[in-house]
Amino acid sequence: MSDPNPADGGEFFAQFLDDYFAECDEHLTLVRRHLLALEGEVGRPGVDPSLLDELFRSFHTLKGISGMVGLGEAEQLAHHMESYLRALRQKGATLSQEGAEALIEGTTVLEQVIAAFRKKGAAPGIDKTVARLEAVVPETSSAPRRPETVEAAEDDGATETERGRKPSQASGAARRPEDTRTWRFEFAPTPELSERGVNVNSVRARLLEIGELLQATPHVKEQGRIVFEFVVATGVEESAFAGWHEENLTYSLVEEATPENTSRSQPSPTGAASGSWADNDSAPTATPAASLLAPSNVVRVDLARLDELMRLIGGLVTSRARLEESLKQLKRSVVPAVWRGLQETSQAMARQLRDLREGVMRVRMVQVGEIFERMKFVVRDLSRESGKEIKLDLRGQETEIDKFLVERMTDPLLHLVRNAVSHGLEKVEERIALGKPPEGTITLRAGASGDNVLIEIADDGRGIDEERIAERARALGLIAGDVRPDEALLLKLICAPGFSTRDEADRVSGRGVGMDVVGNTVKELGGTMTLATEKHRGTRFTIELPLTLAIADALIASVGDQRFAFPQTVVREIIEVEASAVKVLENNEIVSYRGGVLPLLRLARLFGLDETTPRAFHVFVIGSGASAVGLAVDRAIGQREIVVRGLNDPLVKVSGVAGATDLGDGRVVLILDVAALKSSTPNVRPLKQR
Amino acid sequence: MTTNQNDAEPFVLFELAGTTYGVRSRFVQQMEMVEHITPVPNAAPAVEGVVLARGQVIPALNLRVRFGFERVPFDLRSRLMVVNKGGRTLGLIVDTAREFLRIPDAAVEPPPEAITGLSGKYLEGIATIKDRMILVLNLDEVIDIGEQQPASADD
Repeated sequence: MSDPNPADGGEFFAQFLDDYFAECDEHLTLVRRHLLALEGEVGRPGVDPSLLDELFRSFHTLKGISGMVGLGEAEQLAHHMESYLRALRQKGATLSQEGAEALIEGTTVLEQVIAAFRKKGAAPGIDKTVARLEAVVPETSSAPRRPETVEAAEDDGATETERGRKPSQASGAARRPEDTRTWRFEFAPTPELSERGVNVNSVRARLLEIGELLQATPHVKEQGRIVFEFVVATGVEESAFAGWHEENLTYSLVEEATPENTSRSQPSPTGAASGSWADNDSAPTATPAASLLAPSNVVRVDLARLDELMRLIGGLVTSRARLEESLKQLKRSVVPAVWRGLQETSQAMARQLRDLREGVMRVRMVQVGEIFERMKFVVRDLSRESGKEIKLDLRGQETEIDKFLVERMTDPLLHLVRNAVSHGLEKVEERIALGKPPEGTITLRAGASGDNVLIEIADDGRGIDEERIAERARALGLIAGDVRPDEALLLKLICAPGFSTRDEADRVSGRGVGMDVVGNTVKELGGTMTLATEKHRGTRFTIELPLTLAIADALIASVGDQRFAFPQTVVREIIEVEASAVKVLENNEIVSYRGGVLPLLRLARLFGLDETTPRAFHVFVIGSGASAVGLAVDRAIGQREIVVRGLNDPLVKVSGVAGATDLGDGRVVLILDVAALKSSTPNVRPLKQR
Repeated sequence: MTTNQNDAEPFVLFELAGTTYGVRSRFVQQMEMVEHITPVPNAAPAVEGVVLARGQVIPALNLRVRFGFERVPFDLRSRLMVVNKGGRTLGLIVDTAREFLRIPDAAVEPPPEAITGLSGKYLEGIATIKDRMILVLNLDEVIDIGEQQPASADD
């Protein structure tokens, strides 16, 4: 028991850190949102107190939890921002431009510090930022407490808490401050203890019951052993916790009023994340634990666990499909009444599975506003760098999107926004000369569209210069000399690897991912991207992504003896066409459709399968308007819920196939990549002669 | 891998166009009958298609085609040998596979100069065990088709 398993300790610590990063993400998201709102208050007397409260609470929590993981830089930054916010709160202070900028810089650096810690990389220097933050705190507002701000940055400074606590606004109302003594507890977790439910969290909870948690720090000892150190101020008698050493929880008395004795160099208290303003002195300690340690209704779940759950449900869906296949075969050999009973049960199971799947999907959903908020920050920076005036118009932030998609789409969206600023929007003078409002607008819009989610990035800038793109494409040999690219081709060209119309890397958009990465990511996620652009009017990228990746509704079609799955969301309708109704125009086959014509693509021909010549066949109509095409198959077989499996092996990663599924009979059915098939018009050629 | 004489590694032996090949059994996940292969359009010629193996969709590579032998219809003796290598799982279709054999490392000799051509590339070496010649497969080369072959390649 005295020799804890190092691996176990490491796991504790890893878990601990996971929670930490998740909590940081949450608070930084809130901070970004509130900071942008705060910017609007610059120069106005009496800053909106609720806004300050929210920010203070977030920074306070960030400070507390950063201390617990021993990330001193983050703790200091948060501390200084907190100090400034406190100053703002007082005396109807005014937020200066410089103050707002210092907070934004502080947040940016804080984010970098946490990110560096996460990647175990080198942290950026914080001194400059700290100095800037210190500079904006008005002397008067913090006069009684002035030393804390200075000392906080120093290693041996008395902590704010110690100072704050001494003048007697004790934590628990019931305890008289004179009785309060400070103890240092050390807890060494072991697997045995963990089995009995004694772990760092339960210990922390236990300590909170007896007093006020001033500090909590994990220490990595030799061989990766982990020991958690807690400094607790309590009025409770020693006898109350004397028996705890049996659970590897040792303690010693820390002398009063000499916080240096804790051997920590924490600039500030940790553990308590009250977010309460109270008065200057007691703010951080008056109500311990509100958001960090109090129970909440929110459960944080590792995405991998949800993936696993989705995978299990996928297995269930396949099993049920198999069951239904077996039932079909059973139909003739059992009494109809019995068969109906079985059939009903199977149907009920199908519905329940669908509900279950939707339930798990809902758990994975987050609001798209989370990425959008980040864009605000980016646009703000870009606006300054480029000298362009930009208004960011956000719509549909409440649209929910799979967490996985959010993570994957963040960089591509960032890139599109950067592009919109650097390539799309004109300079102010240019806009004025064109009679446009001097301020350019970038619109980010999200919305649901059936089983898909739509994300739109639009600007009201100069539009994509088709001629320039075409010229460059010709130079690169991507298109023939006489081709005038339409919007679909333009998009394809700018998404081609290495295609950039700027000779020198643009400072703003020429870094990070390129358009090819944007295109690939969308494709990998099973989505589509379209482009609309008009000279002097602007450019709009529309990205359509499936809500979820694992399970989808599909329409099954047959060609010869092969079956294929069409993602249901891409199919507009299925029509029956008489062979005699097909007209041949040069190399293309067309049929009349809704008063117009519909070009036909025969799947058999595209895939080099044996072509049959039925009298009538089914056509899946894909897309709408002028871009609609009909994919001709032999027959539509029906609608199914399918488990989408990727075809990632390079041997079978081919154009026109998005993945594979198993319909329950042990045979693999390919899922079509309709967008890729569509773009193989009009020069149809066999992909493979087998 | 040591060169100790006693250090014999188990191999799965299979037949292809009348020749015996061996592949280290630690790379072989399972053996299956060849059935229900779904062709994948536009894939390389040796790629027969995809199959469902233990709930996973994996590519099935026809080793006859891969090695430049003539394609023959699958029969009851044909086997799909599911291998794991380099993080990939795929099935190799062979004429038949029925044997395990421990081959000492020292018994595997580099392929002779004469067959270091195209087919030599797929060999790690040749083992001779009791007058039997076994060609030891270089699995990495076999499953590496490199750049996806364009559609025109096999028109």
